[in-house]
Amino acid sequence: MGQIIHQVQIESLKFEGLTFQHEGHDATFNHVDFEFPTNQILWLNSTEGAGKSTLLQILAGLVVPKSGKYLINDVNVTEMSFEEFLPFRLAIGFSFDYGGLISNRTLFDNLMLPLVYHKLLSPEDSKEQVMSLFERFDFVKFKDERPAHVPGRLRKLACLLRAFVLQPQMVLLDDPSVGLGQETMYEFADFLNEKMKFGNLKHLVISSYDEKFMNLFDGTVLHIEEGQIYKNTEPQEKKVAHL
Amino acid sequence: MNYLLSQIDGMGRFVTKQLEYTFHVLMMVYLSFRATILDQAQGLRTIVSVISAQIYFTGFQALPLITTLALTTGGILILQGMGNLTLLGGTGMIGNFLVVVLVREVAPLLTALVVIARSGTAVASEVGNMRANREIDALESMGINPLSFIVFPRVLGGVISVMCLAFYFIVISLIGGFLITRFLHSMPLNFYTESLLNAFAKEDVLIFILKNSFSGMIIFVVCCYQGLSVKKSPHEVPQATTQAVVNSIIFVTMFNLAVTALVYIGKLKEIGVI
Repeated sequence: MGQIIHQVQIESLKFEGLTFQHEGHDATFNHVDFEFPTNQILWLNSTEGAGKSTLLQILAGLVVPKSGKYLINDVNVTEMSFEEFLPFRLAIGFSFDYGGLISNRTLFDNLMLPLVYHKLLSPEDSKEQVMSLFERFDFVKFKDERPAHVPGRLRKLACLLRAFVLQPQMVLLDDPSVGLGQETMYEFADFLNEKMKFGNLKHLVISSYDEKFMNLFDGTVLHIEEGQIYKNTEPQEKKVAHL
Repeated sequence: MNYLLSQIDGMGRFVTKQLEYTFHVLMMVYLSFRATILDQAQGLRTIVSVISAQIYFTGFQALPLITTLALTTGGILILQGMGNLTLLGGTGMIGNFLVVVLVREVAPLLTALVVIARSGTAVASEVGNMRANREIDALESMGINPLSFIVFPRVLGGVISVMCLAFYFIVISLIGGFLITRFLHSMPLNFYTESLLNAFAKEDVLIFILKNSFSGMIIFVVCCYQGLSVKKSPHEVPQATTQAVVNSIIFVTMFNLAVTALVYIGKLKEIGVI
C-alpha cells in the first residue's frame, strides 16, 4: 500500500470482434472491428440509444464487453483485473453526462480525490493545481460547498474538470456541453483546445448532440449505426460560428 | 402430481437462489479483502479515516439506544430470573441464567438488530444512492476500487462497532440492570457479582467473539452488496434497503442459531449423551 502507479502512454486503441449487450437488450455493438484515430478529437455523433455512452464506458474500462478484444497499445485490456488495468485507467479521464460527483465531499475535495488517492503530486502541488481550475472557471467561492448545494452548472463543470486533474492522455466526455451555460461552454472549449495543443492531452473523445459546441473543435466524426462504428470521411461542415 | 412437482420445483429454485446469493456475498467479502491488500495506492490513512467514521456512526451514535435497551433488558431478565429461580430455590443460579441468556444470546442478537436498523439501512441506502448517482462508476473511472474504498472500511468499521456495542450492552445490562431493579429485590451486590463471575467460562469469550464479529460482517457485507446491486435508478434504493434489512436479519439470526446449536451439541458430547 502507498505505492505510486504511473500512467502508461496510450498509442493506439482498437476493437477486435467486440460485442457488447446490455442485459435484456439487443446487442449495442456487434462484432466490431475498429481502430480509433489517435492524437485528435473524436466526435461521437449518432442517434439516441445508438450506444455513444456505452462506447465511452467501454473505452474507459467501466463496462466489460461480452466478447471480443479491446486493445490499448495492442494489449487486450478486457481480461485485466482492476489492478492490472490501473496504469491504463490513470491515463484516461472520464466525465459522465450527469452525476458522478461524490455527494458527501465538497467540490474541492472531489477534484482533489484522485490526486490525493494516487499521490501523483505533493499535497501542495495538488492544491495549487485544483485551485487553478477553480480560479480559471471563476467558482472559487463554491469550492467548499457540497455538490447538492451548488447550481447544476457548477456540478457539471466540477465533474468535467475532475476528469483532467490526473493530467490524462485520453479524456472521454459524455455530453459535456449540456447544462454548462453558454459562457462556460466557450471557456471550457478553449480549455480543451489548450489541453490538446499544449497539455498532456492527446486523445479526446466527445459524445455530443451539440453542433454549436462541437463546431469549436477540429476533429473526426464517428457514427454508430446498427452495432457498428463508422468514421465520417466527409470534412466536417461548420454550421455555427464562435461568436 | 403436477402440483407436487411444481412445489418441489419452486422450492428448488428458492434454495438455488439463496445459495447463489450467499455465494455472491461471500465473493464480495473475498474481493474486497483482496482489493484492499492489492490496492497499492490506497494509504492506511484513507482506510483509517473511513473506518473511524463508520465506528463513529455505527458505534458511538448508537450508544444512547443501546444503553436504554441494555438497561431495560438487563432489568427484565434479572427480575424474571430472580422471580422464577427463587420459586425453584435456585437463586444462586442467577449468574448462570444471565450468562446463558443475556451474554450468549440476547446481547449479540439485540445489538445486531439495532445495528441493522440504524446503520445497515444507512449503509445500504448510502451505497445504493452512490450507485444511482454514478459515484461508484466515477470512483472506478478515477482508478479507485470501490471494494477497497467503500466496502472494506465499512465492513471492518462495522465489525469493530458491533463487537464494542455488544460488550457495552453486556456490561450495562448486567450492572445497570441490577442497579435499576434494586428497589424491587433484596439480592446483595456481592452475591450477584460472585454468582456472575462463577458462571463465566472461557467458551463465553469464544462465543462472544464468534457471534458478534460474524454478525457485524454479515450485516455490513449484505448491506453493501444490496446497495451495490442498485443498477441505475434511485427508485431501486428503497427496495435495496428493505432487502438488505430482511437478508441481514435472516442471515444473522440463522448464524446465531447455528453457533448456539454447535455449542449445544458440544455440551451433549462433553457429558457423553452423544
